[in-house]
Amino acid sequence: MTYKVTEEGNISTVHLDGEIDMDVTEKAKEIIMPLIEAKKEVHLNLKEVQYMDSSGISVLIESHQKAMELGTKVTLKEISKSVLKVIMMAKLEQILNLD
Amino acid sequence: MEQSHIANVDEKRDFEVNSSNLKHVRSFCREVFEKLNINQELKDELVLAIAEAAQNIVKHAYNNEQTEDKMEIKISVSDGHLEIGFFDKGRPVEKDKIRHRKIDDIKPGGLGTFFIQQIMDAVVFKEGEKPWINHLILSKNLNN
Repeated sequence: MTYKVTEEGNISTVHLDGEIDMDVTEKAKEIIMPLIEAKKEVHLNLKEVQYMDSSGISVLIESHQKAMELGTKVTLKEISKSVLKVIMMAKLEQILNLD
Repeated sequence: MEQSHIANVDEKRDFEVNSSNLKHVRSFCREVFEKLNINQELKDELVLAIAEAAQNIVKHAYNNEQTEDKMEIKISVSDGHLEIGFFDKGRPVEKDKIRHRKIDDIKPGGLGTFFIQQIMDAVVFKEGEKPWINHLILSKNLNN
């Protein structure tokens, strides 16, 4: 997994690329959580994520819940077809912020 | 009996039990499923189910601890019936404790087993024959 973070005002966009599994979830959290803790609105761009498993889904849930707790928001952007399928399999499409 | 249009395969591979090998597990599965006349969506689902089961071995049978042990994954298709065997030498699986979290209880974790059950027709835990401790069998009829 590789990533790029861009900033625009109070919005931080994290562009994730590659496959997100148990092996990279800690790295993903290290990138995303400090932005949420800094009360940034976080956009996760998942266009280039070709594979995500239950560990990746856990990162999305944890990020969403942490953001709600701190009064900010995580929005999933340009979700790839394969990731959307896993989100829907987990019945999270009404829970997470999908755009 | 009508013959299945899906090729028969029988392949197995060993993987060191650690999270950095999960990508190799996926590559192996993709390689095998390329030989089958099934749609891409189903191939992706099967790769997910297998990777989740392999992840459970790393997480639960070995507590994500460093080991030199290997797990074996065997993929067989015969007359359109897919059977995937997982063999490991980790902690014995306590079958009664295996359950996914309630799907409407939104919290991180506990989804892997749910995905496996959603994708596969049957999930069976067996005691492994020596030298294995655990033997998990996932199966699915690919003719449907």
